[in-house]
Amino acid sequence: MHLEATNRTPEISISETALEMKGECYPEDITAFAEPILESLAEKLKACDVYSVSLELRYFNSSSAKFLFDFFEVLEDAAVAGKSVSIEWRYRSTDNSMKEAGEDFGEDMEEADYQLVEI
Amino acid sequence: MDSHDFHKLLLSRGTFFCYSGLLSEEVLTAISGIVREQVTDIDNNENLTTRVFGIFVEQAQNIIRYSEERLALGGIGTVAIGHSNDGFIVEAINPMNAENVERLKENLKDLQQMDSKDLRKAYKQRLREGPPEGSKGAGLGFIEIARKSSKFEFDFVESPDVLFVLKAWIVP
Repeated sequence: MHLEATNRTPEISISETALEMKGECYPEDITAFAEPILESLAEKLKACDVYSVSLELRYFNSSSAKFLFDFFEVLEDAAVAGKSVSIEWRYRSTDNSMKEAGEDFGEDMEEADYQLVEI
Repeated sequence: MDSHDFHKLLLSRGTFFCYSGLLSEEVLTAISGIVREQVTDIDNNENLTTRVFGIFVEQAQNIIRYSEERLALGGIGTVAIGHSNDGFIVEAINPMNAENVERLKENLKDLQQMDSKDLRKAYKQRLREGPPEGSKGAGLGFIEIARKSSKFEFDFVESPDVLFVLKAWIVP
């Protein structure tokens, strides 16, 4: 699954072993945007042993925060179920708000390996 | 007021962007690129302009979702962005249901009292608990505006229906 970036959505690639998301996220219809991604992610996680995720967001709106929260929950649940899940939250060194967001999402990650990466 | 006076009024108060009318997600898509470009043209501090843009999106989506005056695709309201030596201001005005005024007022007063640490905590708690009853989004919009702004003010003007006014200042 590969989605090109639009004005309001990030570029997303989902393969058997990895997911990458990069750009800005404030979709017109958050449910229509989120559902296929969460479904595809859950499917890939079920079929694999090791999965890695890389997120590099410049901006997301408050509706997307809920999507990201659900997204991380899917990953943590898979890790709790015994999958090896690693996550990188990438943020620019000058971007304090994306750093804080990364820290906050990371607080709930116990079994998944969660790293903040300054770029 | 003459048309040119209206134009001059906007310029005199530093308003460089103003949209008034039906706001829908489609309209937001159409104008967001222009808003970004204008804000970035005024200030090249990317963190600052992302805060301004983020508040603009939340304000616009409030009108889309909650304006009391509705058309099929969205809500009627006004959203404007201005700039002065002090920084940016994002303003939104829309009619609202008088029944919700008290609750909204209390909610916004609470947010005004919070410092950045409290707001960060409130945002996270809301995220965990899920949207409150009656919310059409994540229930995070006002917390987000409070977090990203330097300060914000609100007013409820009876004229005769209630107009909700929300102003957020963003300074470096």
